[in-house]
Amino acid sequence: MAASIAGVFTDDLKNAVETSKVLVVGAGGIGCEILKNLVLSGFKDIEIIDLDTIDVSNLNRQFLFQKQHVGKSKAVVARESALSFNPDVKIVANHDSIIKPDYSVNYFKQFRMVLNALDNRAARNHVNRMCLAADIPLIESGTAGYDGQVELIKKGMTKCYECEPKAAQKTFPGCTIRNTPSEPIHCIVWGKHLFNQLFGEYDADNDVSPDTEDPEAAGAAGESALKTKANEQGDIERVTTRQWAQQSGYDSAKLFHKLFHDDIKYLLSMHNLWEKRRKPTPLKMNELPDAVAGSSKDNSAEGLKDQRPWSIVECGQIFSRSLQSLKTKFEDLQSKNKDDHLVWDKDDKDAMDFVAACANIRAYIFGIPQKTRFDIKSMAGNIIPAIATTNAIIAGLVVLNAFNILQNRLESCHSVYCRLRPNHRGQLIVPERGLNPPNEKCYVCRDSPQIAVSVDVNKLTVKELEERVLKSLLNMVQPDAVKDSTGDVVISSEEGEMEGTYHKSLAEMGILDGTVLSVDDFVQNYSLQVIINHREAEHNKPDIEIVGDQSKCQPKAEEEKSNGGSGDNAEEEDDLMLLDEVEETPSAKAERKRKQDSAEESPVSKKLRTSDVIVL
Amino acid sequence: MVELNSNELTDAEAEQYDRQIRLWGLDSQKRLRSSRVLIIGLKGLGAEVAKNITLAGVKSVTLLDDGAASQDDICSQFLVPRDQIGKNRAEASLARTQNLNPMVNVTAETCAVADHPDEYFHAFEAICATKCPTDQLLRLDKICREKSIKFFCGDVFGFFGFMFADLQTHEFAEEITEFKPTATEEPAAKRLKAEPVKTTVKRSSTFVPLQNALDVDWTAEPYSKKLKKSESSYFLMKILLKFRSENMRDPSPGTRSADMEELNRLKNEVLTKMSIPLEKVPDNLLSMVFAEIGPVCAIVGGVLSQEIIKALSQHEAPHNNMFFFNPERNLGHVECLGA
Repeated sequence: MAASIAGVFTDDLKNAVETSKVLVVGAGGIGCEILKNLVLSGFKDIEIIDLDTIDVSNLNRQFLFQKQHVGKSKAVVARESALSFNPDVKIVANHDSIIKPDYSVNYFKQFRMVLNALDNRAARNHVNRMCLAADIPLIESGTAGYDGQVELIKKGMTKCYECEPKAAQKTFPGCTIRNTPSEPIHCIVWGKHLFNQLFGEYDADNDVSPDTEDPEAAGAAGESALKTKANEQGDIERVTTRQWAQQSGYDSAKLFHKLFHDDIKYLLSMHNLWEKRRKPTPLKMNELPDAVAGSSKDNSAEGLKDQRPWSIVECGQIFSRSLQSLKTKFEDLQSKNKDDHLVWDKDDKDAMDFVAACANIRAYIFGIPQKTRFDIKSMAGNIIPAIATTNAIIAGLVVLNAFNILQNRLESCHSVYCRLRPNHRGQLIVPERGLNPPNEKCYVCRDSPQIAVSVDVNKLTVKELEERVLKSLLNMVQPDAVKDSTGDVVISSEEGEMEGTYHKSLAEMGILDGTVLSVDDFVQNYSLQVIINHREAEHNKPDIEIVGDQSKCQPKAEEEKSNGGSGDNAEEEDDLMLLDEVEETPSAKAERKRKQDSAEESPVSKKLRTSDVIVL
Repeated sequence: MVELNSNELTDAEAEQYDRQIRLWGLDSQKRLRSSRVLIIGLKGLGAEVAKNITLAGVKSVTLLDDGAASQDDICSQFLVPRDQIGKNRAEASLARTQNLNPMVNVTAETCAVADHPDEYFHAFEAICATKCPTDQLLRLDKICREKSIKFFCGDVFGFFGFMFADLQTHEFAEEITEFKPTATEEPAAKRLKAEPVKTTVKRSSTFVPLQNALDVDWTAEPYSKKLKKSESSYFLMKILLKFRSENMRDPSPGTRSADMEELNRLKNEVLTKMSIPLEKVPDNLLSMVFAEIGPVCAIVGGVLSQEIIKALSQHEAPHNNMFFFNPERNLGHVECLGA
């Protein structure tokens, strides 16, 4: 190990490497590489934590794992493999979520520094807050394909992870998904929602049937459509898609006919929608076209079934087959626990087949190009491509910056970016020229931070305030909230204490426009004043929003800095801020684990979910 | 160059390589799987390249090294188990390299580069040489030029590292992003917004032999004009290659102070001969070149491996023709030298 050989490092660095305890959060692509570098450099006291298990698709880059390790804990196997490089290191492996309260501020304080190698924003936000609270240097890193970045986060010295608002996830208006899709992604989102309507966790926001409240369809046409529906069904009361499917015994033909014929006919009756659009074509299951129309892929992949375009007839067959398999699995689960349900997982063959088939059938109906299962998997699973080389480069830079920290040269820990192509100066691995100072208006790292949130105080419940605003949007773990003016407790992290009031609206609790809540998260040692702005809920608009987010969180000086900064394209750098190492929406079991931990990013859909805006 | 193999990927390959196929495409993966790669020198940098290239899924990897694994290697050589120190590096690295990817055929070769006839090297699509004396590098590049084999070399000295590529005339597909106005049904105001459109174009790039890159005259144009702005890496490389040629080894932590003196002497000699001011290579840089630092092997090895992958898959523009990692600023830059 480098530190154990005289003459490799300076004495200062040698001693610091051999005596410093470091925490690595994440044992994925970057985490494996960091662990190797630490062990080879001669670190002797390392802790590594990851809640994930090993998947075959990790093996092209997470080189501490092999085929026989699939399904095992990443942290545990990474430890074993790294110990084979140097058996004299003490490595503690935790197969666990870092967001658990067990990993307290005091836990973080035992480390000389923390090295993040994470794949999701929720965990990054959390570790950011823990390191700020413990006043421990944090090295943040991420890659996506050929691009990657490394940055130091140190309280009071640099920007924190949350100083810059991150781009919100791509969302689509509900009526685009339900009524007027125009791109493949709209059909894929619809397919995923259909899966959840039939087999997943019930979510009224992710309906798949025609949206009669579409403002565009308003007027006589919409009314006549409603009448038609009333006549056909005998009553106007809506039945949920799942109830309908259950009543029909998940019959493939009946479901197909409802989804791809009757619902489409119903949409056609909303004439306003089709004045300037191509009309959709209702389909009958026994009259499906054999052609592969408007396919998006060429012929380069004949052999790989994932990359071969499917004809619509084939989509129909795959729809039936996957529907029946999913039905069996679902009924199996429900026979054991009637509240249990399936969780969509891109790596589950039937779940993926179902979404791919539904998306392509719907695309055909609306004259949208179809996609291969391979492409649909990328989009539906939010898969970020990942390669060994970029991870190796980034992890190398992480540990070089760790050396800087150990030598008390924090001012030298400039952010570094890595790209596919050199910039105009020929730079491929590009360090910034200095540290980025904290954003003085950041709602996380400045003193006495504040944030304004707009909600409908008559509709939003206390429970939703806790779950959707404080936990989901503002990334807290165990928040307590009191009214600033009166000191009345609104939300308590003590279990059961406030149960009686959880379903009251904010207005009923006396929380109105302008009310200030003092929110405190014990786990993160984080206090925040939340100013409530009342705004009436509107169709197709998010019902929860951070007010003046951009302007408040990003003073003008910062913008100039990031544009001028390293002489590089600031836009690209901002994009990079969002990069995650691995993956994708976590797999179903990972998601379950995450739910149990009330931790990690429950993928995509839980973030920033709003009633009428659909999140992929 | 490899012809696109008509054989399809197996499901096992598609599954294991999924995340990279989503980046560089199926055709690239097929080209990789029919490529044979020779990796010369199995110290820290060689180990990183062996790891990355084996993970990527080429047809075969041959590890060539005639030296024995030493105590110093444990700074960065993670493919050699500790109980195999003293054994041949290539052989000692074989098992762990193979474990990285059972779908790649990995072999070890213990005979020195100089002892192999030219024909030996004809059996590869790419050759990557590390820890090689300059005369052998020049010989290998010449052999590669004659047989259109992609040639790479590189080294890590302490915190410093570099690589060179000679791909002769290289054809590749590059994905470029253009901004085009979109035609939508949206109102005119929205239509003005340009959307990025990705297209793939065929391009080619011409490389020069290693000799040209090593013989750059910085007193003549165009290099004399660049001298002021250019940083110390190229000159440091020249000093270190000279050290290797004259001492038949690299600067070693065990003989640090004697080697520092030798490096200073060579600095004077090399820079004076090139008519370069001595301050171009600061003394503190000379103190950073001992052993091979693991994280630096990872960085230079990552860049070098990606260049090999790009060349074999004919996907994306290669760096023409040198890359340097300067540890003073964590700066990695690409420079075209000798063209």
